[in-house]
Amino acid sequence: MANREDIALMGHLMRRAGFGASHDELRDMTENGYEATVDDLLNPERFEPVDDDLLFRYMPGYEGALGPPLNQAEWVYRMINTERPLEEKMALFWHQLFATGNSKVDNPPELTQQIAMFRRVGLGKFRDILVELAQNPAMIFWLDNNGNHMGAINENWGRELLELFSMGVGNYSEDDIKEASRAFTGWTIGPKIPRNPLGRFYWNFEYRPEDHDDGEKTFLGHTGNFDGQDIIDIVVNQPATARFLSRHLYNFFVADEPQVPSWNITPPNDPDAIDQLVAAYDESDGDIRAMLRVLFNSDFFKEAQFSRVKSPAELVISTARLAGNFSAPRPGFNSLAFECAYQGQELLNPPSVESWHTGSEWIDGGALVRRVNFAAGLLGDVSLPGVKSIVANLRSRGALSAEDMVDACLEMVGPLEVGDITRAELLDEARSGGELRWDTEADVAESEKRVGVMLALIAASRDFQFA
Amino acid sequence: MLTTVAAGRVFDYNYCIGMYGMSGQGFWSPQDFALADDNVMYVISRGAEELGQRISRVTQDHQFLGQFGANGRGDGQFVWPRSITLDNDGNVYASDDFLNRISVFDPEGGFISCWGEAGDGKGELNGPCGMAFDADDNMLVVDSQNHRVQKFTHKGKHLSSFGSHGDGDGEFNLPWGLCLDADGNVYVADWKNNRVQKFDADGNFLLKFEAAPRSGVGDLHGPTGVAVDSEGDVYVTDWGNHRLQVYAPDGRFITSLVGDAQQPSPWTQTYIDANPDIVKARRRVNLEPEWRFRRPVSVRVDENDRIFVLEANRHRIQVYDKVKDYEEHPLNL
Repeated sequence: MANREDIALMGHLMRRAGFGASHDELRDMTENGYEATVDDLLNPERFEPVDDDLLFRYMPGYEGALGPPLNQAEWVYRMINTERPLEEKMALFWHQLFATGNSKVDNPPELTQQIAMFRRVGLGKFRDILVELAQNPAMIFWLDNNGNHMGAINENWGRELLELFSMGVGNYSEDDIKEASRAFTGWTIGPKIPRNPLGRFYWNFEYRPEDHDDGEKTFLGHTGNFDGQDIIDIVVNQPATARFLSRHLYNFFVADEPQVPSWNITPPNDPDAIDQLVAAYDESDGDIRAMLRVLFNSDFFKEAQFSRVKSPAELVISTARLAGNFSAPRPGFNSLAFECAYQGQELLNPPSVESWHTGSEWIDGGALVRRVNFAAGLLGDVSLPGVKSIVANLRSRGALSAEDMVDACLEMVGPLEVGDITRAELLDEARSGGELRWDTEADVAESEKRVGVMLALIAASRDFQFA
Repeated sequence: MLTTVAAGRVFDYNYCIGMYGMSGQGFWSPQDFALADDNVMYVISRGAEELGQRISRVTQDHQFLGQFGANGRGDGQFVWPRSITLDNDGNVYASDDFLNRISVFDPEGGFISCWGEAGDGKGELNGPCGMAFDADDNMLVVDSQNHRVQKFTHKGKHLSSFGSHGDGDGEFNLPWGLCLDADGNVYVADWKNNRVQKFDADGNFLLKFEAAPRSGVGDLHGPTGVAVDSEGDVYVTDWGNHRLQVYAPDGRFITSLVGDAQQPSPWTQTYIDANPDIVKARRRVNLEPEWRFRRPVSVRVDENDRIFVLEANRHRIQVYDKVKDYEEHPLNL
């Protein structure tokens, strides 16, 4: 029989490696064992992918979406309904790291294709991921590599590859940027059939040898007739790359770090943890799956419960999963996509290539009100299937004291650990209604209502904002 | 190729109708259409989320006559409009597989009534899709998530039903469209089972159209719509494979049509001509992907065996003629 600590640890794992899990799911996973669950998460092919046919039967407008938020809604559907939570969470990780936005690309299906690429290769070797990224049409257009020509380089992609996507500032020179850019000349996209009035059509990656600068280049101390793949081979073998990527993984999966632009002058909060991830990178030739296996099984991860502020996507998706009313195709996924945007994270349209600032910067007065209203609105609605399931769980325990009621509700939504102030307020509310009883229809109606209020209060708490 | 010759049949591409339009002239993720008198057609658009739901009234020669219906749950409104058919008086019936109801309009689009109760009991609906009227003016409805076909009077009184969930003969898995032939036999696109099943008018299983046992030819991936011509040939929109499959009356596979819209519809051409950058861009690309079917979702055949294929993701209808008096040209030309 799973104990509370084991379930709490599993809840922690699923909040980070996925988008949360219900109490029943956590109990089953705990029976399976922590390391076995990590292994399942790292091998998503063991589970069925989202049924595209079913999705597009009911939501045909999501396929080749003509405009936002339909492409965002399509991803929200997948994040909520996937049986491969880490695959989808990694897609979100890479989207936040390799931020590409519709504000410039103006081609929603291409952004969806990019996310599908992250889904396909996101747990593989970092080298392969960077090659895929360099050949991704949305990225090529986003960072102007289609304007990067032999004899007339455009440095945008070359610069961001080094600064934002692999090594971080301070680890390369301006000359390295220029040389890298020369190596990626000829990596481009061709014209496509224009949008409308017959829907959207896709770009294709094109390599144009006549536009590729095949001359000698010197990059990070290496000299040769490099092309883009050679540049990536050199990049992924830099110690700075291992450290930069490790810090990103830590920031996304373990605990909030200082904002990325300060990393060249601000050391990690937990240097030993970063060292462990760097070692995993080096030992595995930059294999993301291997790094995450070390991360999820580490003490530093297990001890980091509730030390990250949920991103808007995490808050919206995990709450909707818990409420259970978006577990199949239905109208309204666009409202969840809008909600992510209102809270400060418009999916597939980050504010710039620098991506979103994370941690406490997700929260401001307006965003906090939206977060609270959204989560409390869903979890306080006792007509929703997931909330009904929570009520049924409490009812199965019989009459509950105020203390037991608060503990049970916290157990159902995380389990969530709350501070003394929050707990005191929850207890005040619970005590005001007396013992939770289920003896008569009137008792049941009243108790359901009180559980809804309690869940809404929990969702509105400071503590609920943390993953 | 514009003309396909197979097994003694000739299918000749003629023209296409429609384009994308969030409202007004055009369609958005159209799901079904009905052929009415005087060259009029009704096309039902599913749109996306809260936008684009409507029935467009157009002619086969590209006149946009108007539209009716909109997003909502009130009378004459839709959330997930799916299929459309006409009764003997030309009234328009539209199914909504979210609201689980059938809405009825007069030929001009005036709302008359709606009926349908959600559930899985007799006469209740869960995801109504394809519809067709029989010779007695009773309506057959694919009750998709109840995996059955139900028969109602045109006012919605339940008469009978057949089918259940499964993959055996006479069983269904999320069926979608259906049609009747001249003898009253019923053809059901058994979507998740990748086949079309044929039943007699009483719902007794007769035949199925699917991949041939050994060769696999004639396979289907998510069939959505089905139609039968005057000679008994059966046309199936093979949604997942983006093609139209043609079968002989005995189930033998004849050929595939893949879409041949090399000449844009007049609506589309007007849009292109009004945008010089689009004209320029189109001259630099291979346009073939544009010609081909993308999510063919419904097929209808008129009394002259003209075949109309509706594409959800290209927002148009491609029209083929089944040529009866075709004479082969000299092959050594």
